[in-house]
Amino acid sequence: MSVIQTLMACVGIAWIGATGFEASQVVQASAPPRASVQAPAASESAPSTPARELVARYCVTCHNERLKTANLLLDQADAREVFRSAETWEKVIVKLRARAMPPPGRPRPDNATYDAVAGWLETEIDRAAAARPNPGRPADLHRLNRTEYANAVRDLLGVEIDGTALLPPDEQAYGFDTNAHALSVSPPLLDRYLTAAARIARFAMGDPTLRPEFERYTAVKNNSNERTWLWQTERLGEEFPLGSRGGIAARHYFPVDGEYLFKVRLDRTWEGVIRGLNVPNEIEIRVDGRRVWQFTIGGGFGFDGLKGPDSRVSLYDADEVLQVRVPIKAGLRQVVVTVVKSDAVKPEGLGPARMPIWSLRYDSANAQLIVSSLLIGGPYNGRLPQDSPSRRRIFVCHPASVNEETACATKILATLARRAYRRPTTTEDIETLLDFYKKGRAGGDFDTGVRAALERLLVSPDFLFRIEVDPDHVPPGTAYRLSDVELASRLSFFLWSSIPDEELLDLAIDGKLRDAKLLDQQVRRMLSDPRARAALVDNFFGQWLQVRNVWLLTPDTNRKYPWFDDNLRTAFVRETELFLDAQLKEDRSIVELLDAKDTFLNEQLARHYGIPNVYGSHFRRVTLADENRWGLLGKASVLSVASYPHRTSPTIRGKWLLENVLGAPVPPPPPDVNTTLENQTARATSVREMLEAHRKNPVCASCHARMDPIGFSLENFDAIGQWRTTDAGTAINASGVLLDGTTVEGPAALRRALVAQKGQFVKSVTEKLLMFAVGRQIDYYDAPAIRAIVRAAAADDYRWSSTILALVKSAPFQMRRSGS
Amino acid sequence: MIVTKTAMSRRTVLRGLGATIALPLLDAMIPALTATANTPAKAARRLGVVYHPNGVIYQNWLPKGVGRAFELSPILAPLEPFRTQLIVVTGLACQPAQALGDGGGDHSRASGSYLTGVHVKKSDSVVGNGISMDQIAAKAFERDTQLSSLQLTADENSLVGACDVGYSCAYSSTLSWLTPTLPLMAENNPRVVFERLFGSTDSTDPQVRAFRLRQDRSLLDSVTDRVRQLQRKLGPVDNTKVNDYLGSLRDVERRIQKAEAQSATEVPDVDRPAGIPEGFDAHVKLLYDLQLLAYQSDLTRVITFMYGREQTGRPYPQIGIPDPHHQLSHHQGDPAKLEKCTRIQTYHVTLFAGYLEKLRSTPDGDGSLLDHMIVLYGAGLSNSDRHSHGPLPTLVLGGGAGTIAGGRHLVYPDDTPLANLHVTLLDRLGVPVERLGDSTGRFNELSEL
Repeated sequence: MSVIQTLMACVGIAWIGATGFEASQVVQASAPPRASVQAPAASESAPSTPARELVARYCVTCHNERLKTANLLLDQADAREVFRSAETWEKVIVKLRARAMPPPGRPRPDNATYDAVAGWLETEIDRAAAARPNPGRPADLHRLNRTEYANAVRDLLGVEIDGTALLPPDEQAYGFDTNAHALSVSPPLLDRYLTAAARIARFAMGDPTLRPEFERYTAVKNNSNERTWLWQTERLGEEFPLGSRGGIAARHYFPVDGEYLFKVRLDRTWEGVIRGLNVPNEIEIRVDGRRVWQFTIGGGFGFDGLKGPDSRVSLYDADEVLQVRVPIKAGLRQVVVTVVKSDAVKPEGLGPARMPIWSLRYDSANAQLIVSSLLIGGPYNGRLPQDSPSRRRIFVCHPASVNEETACATKILATLARRAYRRPTTTEDIETLLDFYKKGRAGGDFDTGVRAALERLLVSPDFLFRIEVDPDHVPPGTAYRLSDVELASRLSFFLWSSIPDEELLDLAIDGKLRDAKLLDQQVRRMLSDPRARAALVDNFFGQWLQVRNVWLLTPDTNRKYPWFDDNLRTAFVRETELFLDAQLKEDRSIVELLDAKDTFLNEQLARHYGIPNVYGSHFRRVTLADENRWGLLGKASVLSVASYPHRTSPTIRGKWLLENVLGAPVPPPPPDVNTTLENQTARATSVREMLEAHRKNPVCASCHARMDPIGFSLENFDAIGQWRTTDAGTAINASGVLLDGTTVEGPAALRRALVAQKGQFVKSVTEKLLMFAVGRQIDYYDAPAIRAIVRAAAADDYRWSSTILALVKSAPFQMRRSGS
Repeated sequence: MIVTKTAMSRRTVLRGLGATIALPLLDAMIPALTATANTPAKAARRLGVVYHPNGVIYQNWLPKGVGRAFELSPILAPLEPFRTQLIVVTGLACQPAQALGDGGGDHSRASGSYLTGVHVKKSDSVVGNGISMDQIAAKAFERDTQLSSLQLTADENSLVGACDVGYSCAYSSTLSWLTPTLPLMAENNPRVVFERLFGSTDSTDPQVRAFRLRQDRSLLDSVTDRVRQLQRKLGPVDNTKVNDYLGSLRDVERRIQKAEAQSATEVPDVDRPAGIPEGFDAHVKLLYDLQLLAYQSDLTRVITFMYGREQTGRPYPQIGIPDPHHQLSHHQGDPAKLEKCTRIQTYHVTLFAGYLEKLRSTPDGDGSLLDHMIVLYGAGLSNSDRHSHGPLPTLVLGGGAGTIAGGRHLVYPDDTPLANLHVTLLDRLGVPVERLGDSTGRFNELSEL
């Protein structure tokens, strides 16, 4: 049998579970077949089990020792004491639960048999796992990623910093930047830690000798595009004053009391002429809501044409005057620069025209004035702040005389070190810090000493790493329970992406987290803290759903989607954030991610979705009448990140659904397959036609026969998530086929079918959540714990709190396997 | 005007705020820096690598004619002024970047293998590659400079998920591999680059700077003690990370010692860049200026720079191209797309020429920086539409301190390993290695006249 024939006969040659990759690495394809008597399954005397009957009938034709299809050798697996072959059987369970095997066209068990056998296997494996859990082994040294670092600094010192500007980017593994193995240590990183520590220490202490430095803020955060395609015709968000249009809102940390420079730059045409100076524009700057400056620019003499600079004003640099120095007290402040609406009585709500923002008309000098950046510089005439949030936090005592200094410094450093290191401090910890204090004090004052010690604390491995050490008494390769302080860090980094607070740390140090009731209470308390939602929405969902990639979208604005602008981009992200935040806050069922009827829209996004009667830039809760839009599968963010810039990709969407909703991940394309689709079609066709042509190739079909048909059911949503009924002149055919052969027509039917298999969805979400929480790859031995979490959550309608509580109580979260 | 330095002219201010912060590096400061003029007669050798993403339109890249009598192509036309210090190397390929059974992911492999000549491990989690050619040079030069190397990019440097089917973003986002498992992530923020070059202190006072260095060194010593303690506590099980940690600490320590030894070096009295300037053009120019500054102050001798990661969808509206680059690069022979790709590549070469001009006008020992440097310019993809890994667009610029004879178009048989060039360049840099990746030999022609 040639390779291709095998492939065709056993479609899905590489169709193995999430952990199949390693398996395929170790199996030697050239090994000669061993005698079949060695295979337990082949033994005549072995008693029958549900698993053996099933695989003998449906699976071993391909998955046997001779063909080695997908390196899954079911004739070799122990079908009686299945836990002995758990790694193999877990792959089988995945296929059975998802109805992903046998391949289409081959004989299949009925639904009852699928579930009965999967259930039997699960029960057997779970029983063995309960007796002898394998909690896995996250790395000893787990570096804080830069989000966690910035959060830790905020919670420790009250100093807000931009981690992305201070530290190099983190690597990810399996979709998350919390993976301990991916978080490497390199010379540039350590270099940056030194720099960051010095900077943060000066900020926290409020060093008046800081030289002025500048920070630039742009209207679209995370903007990676050449220009900002942001309409500034309306109020941009809740941070902006009513009656304003456009502008920039910046959260800026002012390190000392002093004067700071604000400088506003206006947008220019491609020829460099500032737009919109033909009419007067009132620009204002507010700090924490208080107006500190106002200026009117444009209109009248000197601004009245494109004839170029006259004696008084140049249309190329007239915004040089938009700068002001303002005295500001140390601390984190919200700075807003905005344009006052010239006609404040005109109600919001007519929205921008559906005109491409980059069109030539827009590029005229007489187009609307737009704020392009805000530069904040300083301090000038800086003074040591007597009181600032960070100083209040650091100075738990003030020495009244020189004699009291060392005692006070000890107290300050011990307090900080306990929280920074997230454990009881040792004498050595404190002595190390005091050494630095003393050296600093010798060359300066008390503040200088504390600052030097603070720098040492911030570069300590005890701060930068989560350290989990095997206790001495535990033999190698054994599961053991984490210490309470280790557990406290796992909790806080999972739920807050930050260090534990005093309360959690106190309980941990007192050894009270073993008390299930107290642990329960703590988890609920942490979940109700806004930090939890911010961390889970940004870090967990942002990575899992790849919402972060919305900032990188480059839809084909040239021909296909000329109305895609940065307001819409921002709205995609905002809707998803608000939606997820509400799901967590209201402690809804995980299943509602798929079928929630409500979402959050502003006028532009509502128009994008074809929903009437939503006016203005403000986001508000909207109940969706059209059930096609319910849940995540109707969100433009999710739909667009799984599309190409110029067209949809049923393949990517199908793959996404299989992996994230149906719990049946797809292997990468087989070797030497050309994955570029366009080259194979000569004329303009609908995406469906292209893919159908492509699936005529049996090699492609082996995987695409599973991905594409599911993805097709979302074809009514275009590449930026708009509803459509035609594609390239052809009526949309949104008929899709699920793995079990069920046909679904359109997004709503797909969603109903997925909700009917909600167990699979909850399992997938739980797997991702566990991966995020423990910072390692999920392996076959985690499956029993995942099932237990899902079972526990099911009793409470899969609410977020129940799922998270069950996860926190699971073996992989509470325990660790010692090194061998 | 507040944010500028005294040397700034009104005109520079007019060039925009992004440039206002950037310009002290360009105009005002560099004449004041003469550190390298004091270096010994034997000029230091330096290596630069400049990488452009998404391949080339080869017919518009390939010069007409071979040897000395060649005519620059449309894309290479901006390099005419540097013709005597330019070698166009044709016929090279990076075979390890082929699928070799790994399926899709040509973009990731193109940049991943570019300086290693190794077929990278297909994984979006546990990376595997070889040691890159620039890091071999960096290791050899590190005792002479504070930083063994710099990695820069003009692209976004944080991305989610795999960047290509099944490949870690590391492969497409950097060229430099310190070890087969440790990619050095490229930095895109000029302010961060500036701080790496000149330290965290904002003071130019030598005493303050010396104090800062002493402080950094004692911090490192203390941290090293603690890491060793942890190493004993953790036992031998998961020691890779601890070893990386200790190795990195040593590297930073060495930088600081070097900085202390060079404490007399003038430090530019400039404001730090405020961050990433507005616009690709200003961003790239600033990153080039920082490279110039790093070489000129002899803070490092090895720099790799990427215009963008492979598969970047950056549009170039400033040259009239609002389409995403990666999409354009799958041109399928469409003349309009070919023209746009050509324009993007010419634009990259034009920016590069501006950098070369500064290298050439910066004195270094008995000549200019460009006379003594070797700059490799190219890409790991040829025809990006077909994802071909040869013939690669490859240029060598600079005199390599007399070891490179420019003004030629060298044509090798198709599929000659790119790694042969790397091995040859390492020879010229005085860092001979027997082989690198898939190299099969050397190019003596680079210095033959």
